[in-house]
Amino acid sequence: MTRRARQCALAGLVLLAALLAPALSGASEYLQLFVTEPYLELHTGPGRGYPVFNVVPREGSVDVLFRRTDWFKVRTERGVEGWVSLNDMQKTVLADGTPFRFNLGDRAGFTDHRYELGIFAGEYGGANLISLYGALSFNSQLHLELTLGEFLGRYSNGVTGDIGLAHVVMPESRWSPLLLLGIGEVHTEPKATLVQPSDRTEPTAYAGIGIRFYLTRRFFLRAEYKAHYVFTNRTTNEAVDEWKAGFAFFY
Amino acid sequence: MESGIRILLLIAALATLPGCATVRGWFHHGSAGGAASSAASAAGGGEEQSAPPRVIEPEVARREIKVPKIRSRNFELGADYGIISIEDFGTHPSYGFTAAYHITEDFFFQADWGRSRGGQTSFETLSQIQLLTEAERRFTYYDLSLGYNFLPGEAFVGRSRAMTSAFYLLGGVGGTDFGGDTKFTVNFGGGYRVVPADWWALHIVVQDHVFQSSLLGSTKLTNNLEARIGLTVFF
Repeated sequence: MTRRARQCALAGLVLLAALLAPALSGASEYLQLFVTEPYLELHTGPGRGYPVFNVVPREGSVDVLFRRTDWFKVRTERGVEGWVSLNDMQKTVLADGTPFRFNLGDRAGFTDHRYELGIFAGEYGGANLISLYGALSFNSQLHLELTLGEFLGRYSNGVTGDIGLAHVVMPESRWSPLLLLGIGEVHTEPKATLVQPSDRTEPTAYAGIGIRFYLTRRFFLRAEYKAHYVFTNRTTNEAVDEWKAGFAFFY
Repeated sequence: MESGIRILLLIAALATLPGCATVRGWFHHGSAGGAASSAASAAGGGEEQSAPPRVIEPEVARREIKVPKIRSRNFELGADYGIISIEDFGTHPSYGFTAAYHITEDFFFQADWGRSRGGQTSFETLSQIQLLTEAERRFTYYDLSLGYNFLPGEAFVGRSRAMTSAFYLLGGVGGTDFGGDTKFTVNFGGGYRVVPADWWALHIVVQDHVFQSSLLGSTKLTNNLEARIGLTVFF
């Protein structure tokens, strides 16, 4: 193993130790919920297929330890730990009698949410593109988006970074068109066989259209086209087309 | 083409501006606050006109009940070690890091980074001619993948210990830096995850990294199969 590999392994161990510290210490104060239905079912694992092994009767209570996707790890008054689905948790109440509510990540959440994250594959000026984006929603119609991408082509490789606005035309619809506008930078590394092999970084502006489709909880498909305008320091500016499609989730 | 771009920019600008106008309060979703404040101001106007009776405010300090937040443990981070068969360049140890975000009980996003080193091709061994420099033999990849948990279940150790487990499928895109060039790479594979405790998991993954290579003259699709074992932590 090389010295660099050993350094990487050491860094990984330190990172794991840092992560383990909070995991082992745990939080001491948990949310307490009360059962109002005839009983609350406890599953052995965080999934719909795991069997029910225990129930909490009406007016019993559970401490919510943590959440994984749409499942909650709870502890009963008798110290039994199990998993409860989000749907069942919605039927419990807080200590003051108000119903427990939690964001389901359903169609209502698709219309109006705070964050998005997604990955794309596509084409950037004829090169293959891998892209990752994150979005912050100001409201259901207007999002601020940051996109990073790497394009790998026959004649050049490079990376792109964009920041811009996305306007969702019909946010309540399952198929929602998008309008995109923003600025960015592109760093291009031409392959050495070409006449001008020097790397270059250039500012860009883009406009585009897209569409998103709600698939299932917290999860949607997205496809888009961006027309980039690259402001070069050569005699003419360049126009680059970007097509891509991918998956994204919201929360 | 350039005028077309300008027209498209203008259309998008016109279409986006009404979106900006819809922002009533930055970072405040919905318009309940705005409606409430306008209703309050309207009520205030009425009170000024009709001189409302004085209301005695009880001097009781309300006890604020703090509802503890529910911690989520949807992120997974870890390291792995395995072997990779680099097509034409032999099989060698690999190591890497992985990060995942579990979206639903079925789907998760995963990002992987891994590194290995290509050996010598049979041509190089026989002819003693080196095709690549030492630096170019370094094989580095990254993947952005979508995972799907299928066949979830439980693994049993003895009579009294059960651990949740799942087989999962992985597929995605990424890049591989090898032989002095970075290539667009499609990956697919599967894995088995067993979760002995809520905060950590053990993975066994087999994944193929497919990319086009022309290192040996003709351009061809290369399959680079990797098998690795990893430890991850949920947080």
